[in-house]
Amino acid sequence: MTIDELAKGVQEGKRRHLAKAITLVESNREADQQTAQELISKVRSAKETIRVGISGVPGVGKSTFIEALGNLLIEEGLKVAVLAVDPSSPATGGSILGDKTRMETLSSKDEAFIRPSPTSGTLGGVAKRTRESMMLCEAAGYDVILVETVGVGQSEFEVASMVDCFLVLMLPGAGDSLQGIKRGIMEIIDILVINKADGDQEKMAKNAVTEYQNAFHLLTPKYDGIGVEFLTVSSIKKKRIDAAWEKIQGLISVLKEKGIFEAQRKEQELNWFKRLVEDEVLRRLWGSRENKKHAEELVEKIKKGEIAPALAAKKMLEK
Amino acid sequence: MSDNNSGKENWKKGVEKLLKGGKAESLNRQSPEGFEIQALYDSEDVSKRNTDPGYPGEFPFTRGPYSSMYTQRPWTIRQYAGFSTAEESNKFYRQALEKGQKGLSVAFDLATHRGYDSDHPRVVGDVGKAGVAIDSVEDMKILFDGIPLDKMSVSMTMNGAVIPIMAAYIVAAEEQGVSPEQLSGTIQNDILKEFMVRNTYIYPPQESMRLVSDIIEYTSEKMPRFNSISISGYHMQEAGADSALELAFTLADGLEYVKTAVESGLDVDAFAPRLSFFFAIGMNFLMEVSKLRAARTLWAELMKEHFQPKNQKSLMLRTHCQTSGWSLTAQDPLNNVVRTTIEAMAAVLGGTQSLHTNSYDEAISLPTETSSRIARNTQTIIQEETDITHTVDPLGGSYAIESMTHDLKEKAKTIINEVMEMGGMAKAIEEGYPKRKIEEAAAIKQAGIDKGDITIVGVNKYVNEKEDPVDILDIDNTGVRDGQVNLIDEIKAKRDKVATKEALLAITEAAKSGEGNILDLAVEATRKRATVGEISTALEQAWGRHTATNQTIKGVYESVYKSDKGYQEIKSKIDAFSEEEGRRPRILVVKMGQDGHDRGAKVVATAFADMGFDVDVGPLFSTPEEAAKQAIENDVHVIGVSTLAAGHKTLIPDLVKILKKEEAGDIIIVAGGVIPVQDYDFLYEAGVSAIFGPGTNIPKAASKVIDEIRAQKA
Ligand code: B12
Ligand SMILES: Nc1nc2c(ncn2[C@@H]2O[C@H](COP(=O)(O)OP(=O)(O)OP(=O)(O)O)[C@@H](O)[C@H]2O)c(=O)[nH]1
Ligand SMILES: [Mg+2]
Repeated sequence: MTIDELAKGVQEGKRRHLAKAITLVESNREADQQTAQELISKVRSAKETIRVGISGVPGVGKSTFIEALGNLLIEEGLKVAVLAVDPSSPATGGSILGDKTRMETLSSKDEAFIRPSPTSGTLGGVAKRTRESMMLCEAAGYDVILVETVGVGQSEFEVASMVDCFLVLMLPGAGDSLQGIKRGIMEIIDILVINKADGDQEKMAKNAVTEYQNAFHLLTPKYDGIGVEFLTVSSIKKKRIDAAWEKIQGLISVLKEKGIFEAQRKEQELNWFKRLVEDEVLRRLWGSRENKKHAEELVEKIKKGEIAPALAAKKMLEK
Repeated sequence: MSDNNSGKENWKKGVEKLLKGGKAESLNRQSPEGFEIQALYDSEDVSKRNTDPGYPGEFPFTRGPYSSMYTQRPWTIRQYAGFSTAEESNKFYRQALEKGQKGLSVAFDLATHRGYDSDHPRVVGDVGKAGVAIDSVEDMKILFDGIPLDKMSVSMTMNGAVIPIMAAYIVAAEEQGVSPEQLSGTIQNDILKEFMVRNTYIYPPQESMRLVSDIIEYTSEKMPRFNSISISGYHMQEAGADSALELAFTLADGLEYVKTAVESGLDVDAFAPRLSFFFAIGMNFLMEVSKLRAARTLWAELMKEHFQPKNQKSLMLRTHCQTSGWSLTAQDPLNNVVRTTIEAMAAVLGGTQSLHTNSYDEAISLPTETSSRIARNTQTIIQEETDITHTVDPLGGSYAIESMTHDLKEKAKTIINEVMEMGGMAKAIEEGYPKRKIEEAAAIKQAGIDKGDITIVGVNKYVNEKEDPVDILDIDNTGVRDGQVNLIDEIKAKRDKVATKEALLAITEAAKSGEGNILDLAVEATRKRATVGEISTALEQAWGRHTATNQTIKGVYESVYKSDKGYQEIKSKIDAFSEEEGRRPRILVVKMGQDGHDRGAKVVATAFADMGFDVDVGPLFSTPEEAAKQAIENDVHVIGVSTLAAGHKTLIPDLVKILKKEEAGDIIIVAGGVIPVQDYDFLYEAGVSAIFGPGTNIPKAASKVIDEIRAQKA
């Protein structure tokens, strides 16, 4: 497949082509990276889309929530793409990806495209590929992009920095989870959803909302005059999923009204530009065999005490 | 005692001399169950454990549930069978009964198991294939034609669609002139293990438990000679569980059922005597004998402790056994006759009440007439040519057997306590605990076989270089399906539409409200000619269809294999591929149709991931369309179809067709599972690149898959 064919296929919304394009973006091969960039510039679209990040601890019900939300969106006539990112790369070997088994009806729908991605040893980390994959999905005509990521490591922050709405799922036992909540996460949340509000846990979930509301009260809001939204859902029983969608839409329209939406996307692009430059510099610095060798030599010297670190650093950069 | 002590010391010295200085203890082994198997047991070992097996027919029934056991009447030869149409299966049953079989055991096809009529689009590959297709009471009547249901004990393996099938059986009998009181037999009705290992569930767990207890209620009132449930460990062992896990999870399931029935208002003595059990008997001879003895002992103790029944019979564990199908090989298949005989002996010496012995072509296809005959005769020979039946519990008092019975029982007790701490088996299953334990055990076992630590004759040792072809039973599922569809149309045309509809509505209502006995209502609907699929759907309308949470394990296979040089070579080969390709080789392991055999798929998936593949695991019960869509979106190099229930000739060509249509013809397809060699050429022609049958060495398969991807790219 030539790059033009690929681009054309993506723009025509062909599943096979979109999938291949994402593979290209995810590839660790230098040559593929070049092609991927070309492809992305060819297919850039100006389509209006909504990008939602969905995060939370393992097992909180992200995939199940997406199954329910995705089906609802499709009923409303929208096309949905789901990018599932698993940053917990295994110590050895490949990944084993079972996410789609929890999105059984969604994954069989024509209007849905779901791509789980292993992350073991990718260039540029989670952020790069997900952002680019997201753009490809938009070019292929998907209206809403849902990015699922486990709340581990930096991935949450990375995902938050590329979406319009960042939604975090929590378990009903609020008191306990408040303590476990990661530093800095509260500040980037737009919508906090207590999942599994069903059966014996329904009441507990309601109480959790109050507790969270109190805790969040003390924070300076992410945007002036727009507070964090809270709600309880049951993804498995498909309860209040419509309310969650309303909250997402509500946020988007307020952001648009206030002109934040566009500005934020622009800013995300600028940050992204900076990040790419930095990554490239680092890659050039450590990536070439020659430089690596040079660095190793210097390291040896530092170890033996033959050279001071500051001087070594200077030498390294002089090259 | 002192004599004994010096005797033991002398023995040790003797051994150590033979070992040329090695310690006698070095001959002890660790069993997979997690306790030590001693090289020698003596009277001290028995007294130390403080166990007294007592007498057969008396608490705690270690030596057998009945006092006379086989000396009065041998166990029931009960062969599990069913295939194609009701008519074909009926013919087969009648022949078997003439030739010494004593009870019937019906195997339904997977469409029926999952509550679909034969005309449902999701079951095109499954009708009549792995069991008999039953869509309505009319089929059920044909199935038992000429078989007097007041005399014949009938066991039915049905769990998911248990309501319409029980109803069809009751109404078929009624129309034969036999009332429910006269019916004897067993319904499996064990839904918990379906969620764990057997995978023919339909509704969510809680709702399914309601059905179990409605059936227990119905039978305890109306069918006093009928076993309302068969609490099964068999499928757990076949899915990978060791004897301790099998024993513990089965008894814990049993406790959960008793609890549910008691909570629904039944007196424990009203139903507990009609509970029956079902275990697998594998090749670990002494362990399996001990398992049956431990099962009886522990069940009696647990029932007494938790439910204090007044009737002794409520404490008594009666069981059916089946020899292990997993232990049988596609390679050099006549070896399987030997394996089955050994396992049958263990079941008998353990004191089973009835027994199924497998056919030597178990790993190849459904049994043929010849292989069924040999399987049945394995039992008639033990019963009638050996004198084993003339002594009750002949191994009782053996130092080894008594010690192992005790150790296994203690091990199982520990596991049961863990389950209790989680809140019982239903909760543990919800958390995925037992399934995970079983899958880990399966991965460990597979690694042991692939590595050669565990011997399987003909597979990884003493291989027969030139295999003779084996005759197979091949069912024309399309033909069976067409016939069934006609029958369904006929029934639907003739019946009183309004009455059927009302009867079905009543079922949905009862399901929603929680009132009434659903089996009772289903019997009514069946009289009105509602089909199996329609009754299932009536319940589904209230409760929905359950989808399982698929968990995956990582690193277990490798933990056994790591040190192996060959294994490391495969890993390097995969790493090299990843380097060149810019990503890891990616495979979708998929199950299509209603085939719920997932042991192989799970083991292959986890092993492939350990070796360096990125592995996507598809949901159970996919259609070819769904499989293709997932493969395309994930942009896999390979689709690995795992197929064991004979749907391959329908489903794989469909998959190929869809891939081509979606411009994804370059995705390679490999197939694994129970595929008779007779079908290989058909599949190759359809577009399959490689086929991996039972006994496949997984690292070798992985290497071959890499070669195939490379060849495709070239
Ligand atoms: C274990 C087993 C069960 C277990 C399944 C537990 C589970 N969760 O998997 C239980 C007891 C529940 C069961 C039930 C039934 N079973 Co069963 N079962 C077997 C048995 C004995 C072994 C299968 C197995 O797991 N082997 C171990 C695994 C590791 O091996 P494997 O799957 O073959 O995989 C290896 C290779 O094939 C290959 N491979 C497989 N897949 C893939 C994929 C890829 C990508 C690759 C590279 C390689 C590969 O590599 C693997 C490693 O070596 C077979 C007979 C046999 N000996 O094969 C019958 C068998 C498959 N069962 C059969 C039947 C009929 C049933 C039932 C339908 C009976 C009924 N009517 O009720 C039920 C229903 C189950 C269901 N829901 O579908 C029939 C199918 C008949 C046919 N094909 O014509 C068989 C063949 C027995 C027989 N001869 O009658 N069964
Ligand atoms: N009771 C209840 N259970 C739920 C709900 N949502 C999800 N679950 C269950 O929680 C478990 C985990 O759900 P997933 O959707 O896989 O969770 P996840 O956050 O995507 O998990 P990872 O991808 O592993 O991080 C599954 O067993 C679900 O069935 C809910 O609303 N109520
Ligand atoms: Mg998930």
